Amino acid sequence: MSIITVIITFLGGVTLSAQSSINGKLSNKLGTLETALVTFLTGTLFMALWLIFFGKGNLLAIAQAPTWQLLAVFLGVGYMFLTILAVPKIGVTATNLTAIVGQVVAGFIIDQFGLFGGEIVHFDSSRFIGLVFMLLALFLIFKDNNETLK
Amino acid sequence: MKKTIFYLVALFSGIALSMEGAIYGELGKIIGQFESSFYNFFVGTILLTLIVLFFGKGNLTHTFKVPKWYLLGGLLGLIYLTVLVFGIPKVGVGISMIAIVVGQMIMSMIIEHFGWLGSEKKSITKKRSLAIVFMLVALIFIY
Repeated sequence: MSIITVIITFLGGVTLSAQSSINGKLSNKLGTLETALVTFLTGTLFMALWLIFFGKGNLLAIAQAPTWQLLAVFLGVGYMFLTILAVPKIGVTATNLTAIVGQVVAGFIIDQFGLFGGEIVHFDSSRFIGLVFMLLALFLIFKDNNETLK
Repeated sequence: MKKTIFYLVALFSGIALSMEGAIYGELGKIIGQFESSFYNFFVGTILLTLIVLFFGKGNLTHTFKVPKWYLLGGLLGLIYLTVLVFGIPKVGVGISMIAIVVGQMIMSMIIEHFGWLGSEKKSITKKRSLAIVFMLVALIFIY
């Protein structure tokens, strides 16, 4: 059952990489902030349509949700701003790979302590081995990119 | 030394993504998963409208002139976030982030290899294919 969830999440990553390529093209024409706005606006419109026909949740329950959960919107937008700061200084590849390290390590820490109300998943030896392989892969990509630049 | 700060900035940007997924997973339990995703894009649009109004230096009118497939980024981003909102409460943040990243890295190598979506062609080298193998091993171990 959970293997299906992991495969679907993997496909979510696939769509994200297509998004970076497309948004790269768009930001050449529009500018970075403008591209982010168009991305969020079209995302909102598509999801509004979906909710009108298939929405089963309760959007109004947002009033009952704790404020700290609503602040998550600043994290997505914040991610974008931090990347805009870092890319001109250390380059796209270094920025992306470093962000991935932060993303993966933070994911393990959140799981370990069940932060933000999620289930606790302990950091064990197989997670450690997985992390080492992940870092090796990122290092290889980083080296490969430096070589092609030369 | 100066560069170190920007590596930290990049590191924090990744941490923000993990936290975002974890929190929206919880919000999804209260208002619904699709609704949680909608909330992010809706309020994000409000924030970015303000930001573009005050700090935008680009040109939004080009939105209507570019090829239509340039405008599909929002739909793809929506799929990414919604998948996380559903998945994270089921399998946890760690494995979700690994799966996302591995999918993202492998696909971007394929996109660049073929020069799809107007990207510059960059062949998959030995190092890159080894990286793909390592990432899949990582995914299997963590799963």
